[in-house]
Amino acid sequence: MAELPLFLRPEDAIRQLTELNHKILQGIECLSRVGPDDIHVGVSPKEEVYREDGVVLYRYTQAVGAPFHIPILLVYALVNRPYVVDLQEDRSLVRNLLKLGIDVYLIDWGYPRRGDRWLTLDDYVNGYTNNCVDVVRKRHGLPQINLLGICQGGTLSLCYSALYPEKVKNLITMVTPVDFHVEGDGLLNRWVGRGNGKENIDVDLMVNAFGNIPGEFMNLGFLMLKPFQLGVRKYLEMLDIMDNKEKLVNFLRMEEWIFDSPDQAGEAYRQFVKDFYQGNKLIKGEVRIGDKQVNLHNVRMPVLNIYAEEDHLVPPASSIALKQHIHAEDYTAQSFPVGHIGMYASGKVQQNLPPLIAGWLKERG
Amino acid sequence: MKGPFENVVDLSEQVENLVKACAESQTKMWESWCGLFRGVPVQGMPFPDVSTQWREIAMQGLKAWTTESKQEVKDAAEGLLSPHAVFMRFFELALTAWKSFPPQGGQDGQTMLTQYTGQLREHLLQFPERAVRSLEDTSKLWQLYMGKWQKIGQPWLESGRRASWRVGEAATGDGSALIELTNLYWDTYERTFGWLLESPSLGHTRELNEQLLKGFNAWIDLRRASLEYQFICADVWTKAFERFMLKLISRKPPYDKVLDLRELLDLWIDTVDEAFLEMFRTDEYVRTQARLMNTAMAYRTHERAITEAFLKISHVPSRSELDETHHRIYELRKEMKQLKKALQMFQEERLSRHTGEQAFPHP
Repeated sequence: MAELPLFLRPEDAIRQLTELNHKILQGIECLSRVGPDDIHVGVSPKEEVYREDGVVLYRYTQAVGAPFHIPILLVYALVNRPYVVDLQEDRSLVRNLLKLGIDVYLIDWGYPRRGDRWLTLDDYVNGYTNNCVDVVRKRHGLPQINLLGICQGGTLSLCYSALYPEKVKNLITMVTPVDFHVEGDGLLNRWVGRGNGKENIDVDLMVNAFGNIPGEFMNLGFLMLKPFQLGVRKYLEMLDIMDNKEKLVNFLRMEEWIFDSPDQAGEAYRQFVKDFYQGNKLIKGEVRIGDKQVNLHNVRMPVLNIYAEEDHLVPPASSIALKQHIHAEDYTAQSFPVGHIGMYASGKVQQNLPPLIAGWLKERG
Repeated sequence: MKGPFENVVDLSEQVENLVKACAESQTKMWESWCGLFRGVPVQGMPFPDVSTQWREIAMQGLKAWTTESKQEVKDAAEGLLSPHAVFMRFFELALTAWKSFPPQGGQDGQTMLTQYTGQLREHLLQFPERAVRSLEDTSKLWQLYMGKWQKIGQPWLESGRRASWRVGEAATGDGSALIELTNLYWDTYERTFGWLLESPSLGHTRELNEQLLKGFNAWIDLRRASLEYQFICADVWTKAFERFMLKLISRKPPYDKVLDLRELLDLWIDTVDEAFLEMFRTDEYVRTQARLMNTAMAYRTHERAITEAFLKISHVPSRSELDETHHRIYELRKEMKQLKKALQMFQEERLSRHTGEQAFPHP
């Protein structure tokens, strides 16, 4: 038998294996000590200020006496839950913005039920988002407010800003897909396909078959983009933090967020995939939301575009393309050397991102 | 004897199960990749008992310790165990492969590895090939297909079993077989739902038969697409294994670095991820995945049509009817919101004309 290039004798291998197994058993025991009350998400205090159907608009409790006079409205993606921006005390974009004197509102899209399968992008943009913006404007007596759109929520915010520029003072987009057919597409874009050929996923058939697109189905698709890192390595790395309850609970919080995937309202999903992913109509000025044409040239307000350099869900080039398609004279792009999830979860990003946002907003009054 | 309303309860459960089934199809597909690998027989495994016994203990521990835990804790605990099992299989294969190489002279390591992985590939692909061959036996497939509908109507299933050989003929264009098949269903129908209904029942039976046959074709398409998908995935497993072994072989004594199990595992994960990600980007994969998705959705659509045919017979509202109702409610709700908004805007504008204050649109 050839010598294994491991310097690993069978007895050593068994010993190491036994150690690994022991560690896994200890890990399971540690997990059993995590009580149901240990895992809190969405930590900052907030109040409900508006509700429409399953959608809720929250305002976070101020952390400073006199906050910046123009509030910011956070528009998160329809996929996954928005509490990732306020996951835990030391990893909360919301909390850090509050500390920096920003008045923060957030739209929670809720969990679409089967009866919501007919909700369209018209309902989400011209309906819920527009109504939430109006509520905030009215509460503060302001003609315009600031918008921060995240991921798919960034794309929706971009559409909203193009349709209602008179209501948006400053626009911030974060890890936002804009050009869905960039060179070297991300895997997600590649899987969904271009155009409506037979070789692509048939979204009409999918929505007709499913009604709402199940959250688990969406989630599995995301996990398969990095199957072994997200399905195997992640849990092995968990072994290294097992004896630290705080780190373990942090890990479980992130797990809770990752697997807390709402179903997608069927009609809205159909339009988003067909018009944005397959048709790439946003940058062509061909997207229609309700009876309104989305023209990105109407985006003339100051724009801060934040993207992740290692993003595997939204390729950086897809976000960077924004500059070419809007007519904003005041445009700033800022990247961070992390992946998509790192934008929310990385402690280092959380040190730098909130001051960047707060500073940029305050400079623009 | 069971009354008709007991069937209704079963139907509701069945519909729920069917809804879940399609969402879980991708999960099962993923598990089957791992299953493919676990299915490879390994001669002379170095530590079979260690692995098996440990896993049994771990599973007992998992059940005992996380009974009262939140779901994400249970999921995380299972997450610890499941990759371990797959890795163990991989590790055992790697060691066995190594054992099969000659100590020195003769063929070089790479040639031996190519031969070994050739055998592995052949074995991994045996499963889809066997399954492809099974697709040729229409009667057996029909029985499998009808088995899925067992809970909905046992008498119908019995009829389906008797009809299995007839379906094979019907599918290949023998019209008389189709007539015979219809008659079989008709007999069953008479014995079950027939007494409940009068003349329109004939229409129900024909509709149901037609839906069942259409559903059968969609099911066959789905099975084919699923096998094509497994073919390309099985091939990637082999390529990943080959690369993993090549990376080990490329280490010449004196070795630049000593590996322990954890490093070996990291190397394996990197290698497999790299191989799968390469494959995920290929046109072939994109095409195959899209076909799998599309056939799964087409089958699900037929499945619903069959379910709804049963529901119709039993006077139970169907998914489509509920969707239609929801659609109407949605439209009315939207219309009402627009009217309320227009009214409020009108009132606020009128007020602002009196007070001179700027009006804000109210949602």
